[in-house]
Amino acid sequence: MSKDLSTWLDTLLNELQGIEVRRRSSRRIRVDVQPDALPALLELLRGRASYVHLSAISCVDWIDEGEFELVYHVWSYEIGSLVSAHTRIARDPGVYISVYDIYTPAAFFERDIHEMFGVFFEGSPDMSRFILTEWDGPPPMRKDFDSEAWVNAHFDFQDYQPDWLQEIEAKGGGVAVRPDEQRFSRRDLDAS
Amino acid sequence: MTEVTKTPAAGDALPVKTGKRTNPLANVFDELVRFAQSRSLFMLHYCTGCGAIELPPAMTSRFDMERLGIQPMVSPRQADILLVTGYVSVKTLKRVILTYEQMNSPKYVIGICSCTVNGGMYWQSYATAKKLNDYMPVDIYIAGCMPRPEAVIAGLRGLIEDIRRGTADTWKDYYRRYDHYLGNQQRLFGEDWQTPTDVIAEARHYGLFGPGTLGERTALLERHQKPLEALEMKLDIPELMARRSGLGSKGRTEVK
Repeated sequence: MSKDLSTWLDTLLNELQGIEVRRRSSRRIRVDVQPDALPALLELLRGRASYVHLSAISCVDWIDEGEFELVYHVWSYEIGSLVSAHTRIARDPGVYISVYDIYTPAAFFERDIHEMFGVFFEGSPDMSRFILTEWDGPPPMRKDFDSEAWVNAHFDFQDYQPDWLQEIEAKGGGVAVRPDEQRFSRRDLDAS
Repeated sequence: MTEVTKTPAAGDALPVKTGKRTNPLANVFDELVRFAQSRSLFMLHYCTGCGAIELPPAMTSRFDMERLGIQPMVSPRQADILLVTGYVSVKTLKRVILTYEQMNSPKYVIGICSCTVNGGMYWQSYATAKKLNDYMPVDIYIAGCMPRPEAVIAGLRGLIEDIRRGTADTWKDYYRRYDHYLGNQQRLFGEDWQTPTDVIAEARHYGLFGPGTLGERTALLERHQKPLEALEMKLDIPELMARRSGLGSKGRTEVK
């Protein structure tokens, strides 16, 4: 039964215009699709081909191409296979349409992607802060976000104090910290 | 000892330090109290990160923390030790500070794992606070990723020794230099950050009002401080509400 379904699905997907289907294995299919056709494809997969479970939406920042890649992973319990629908949208302005009306759990994934990458999903029920409730910086998972610079601007590090090591070594323990691995607080760097 | 008959105002002179007491028996008594304190510690473990996994063996029969008089406690009001195990994200740090301020003095903070010392493996992470003693005074750090239960026990023994000698008084630093700690907290949470605990009034109460208690950061706090309001209570039981409103008007009511 499921083998038949799988064969039909392959035939069906190959019939469609403008999408590229690659079967990675017996249980994984990769589909590359234009952004305007993706909701229709998901509608088709969910409504006609039993792909009822949206496992995740992932996002990749292709900064050199100026694009975000959105990957919708949908799973079918009957066929037992995962379809990954890849689509690329322009990095600027980074607006895309929500698939909340097709898959309800998409609300959480889209909210998360909005927070981490700054992609705005039109029609998503809630685009407010999700995990980073204290955050007021740029979206942190973008490739142009410099985490180390942010850390140096917002936090201090414990000053490295060799006396601690002497104390520990006197008790028969301790490891040496190489000079290039020693970190000092920002205040001391400013003073020097 | 300072008698707490009135609360000193901001401009008042500091309470007189009594120093060593003249009665020799008083010192014996103090020592006895400190010994008892050091042998009966209730520990609130705020398990923020992976280091918490080393606590069950340290607490249970294998390493048996209780033979040192240390027991887990469920609420901050009754705890003596706040054990922060592992990385503290900015969001968690708020809760850790709230918990710390709710604890009664004397209170001790232990930071376990490299993450509380210096961010550990999350040193480059935008979401993790690096240095716990920027935000609250820390008595003892137990370094390691993760420290084994032996190291945890060794650290606790160190704290016990400090309490017995009367040198574990970093909690006073939070009152004496509240402006400094509040400044670091405001740097992360914004200048309208406030907690339900009135630390400045507590500093006056404990007689620990120091020159660093008030400053420009506490002035910011006062400017943004909103009065705390009791949580709104909603009861959605029609029968009960009818009875309550009836009591208000007539003194008795009929319930169908």
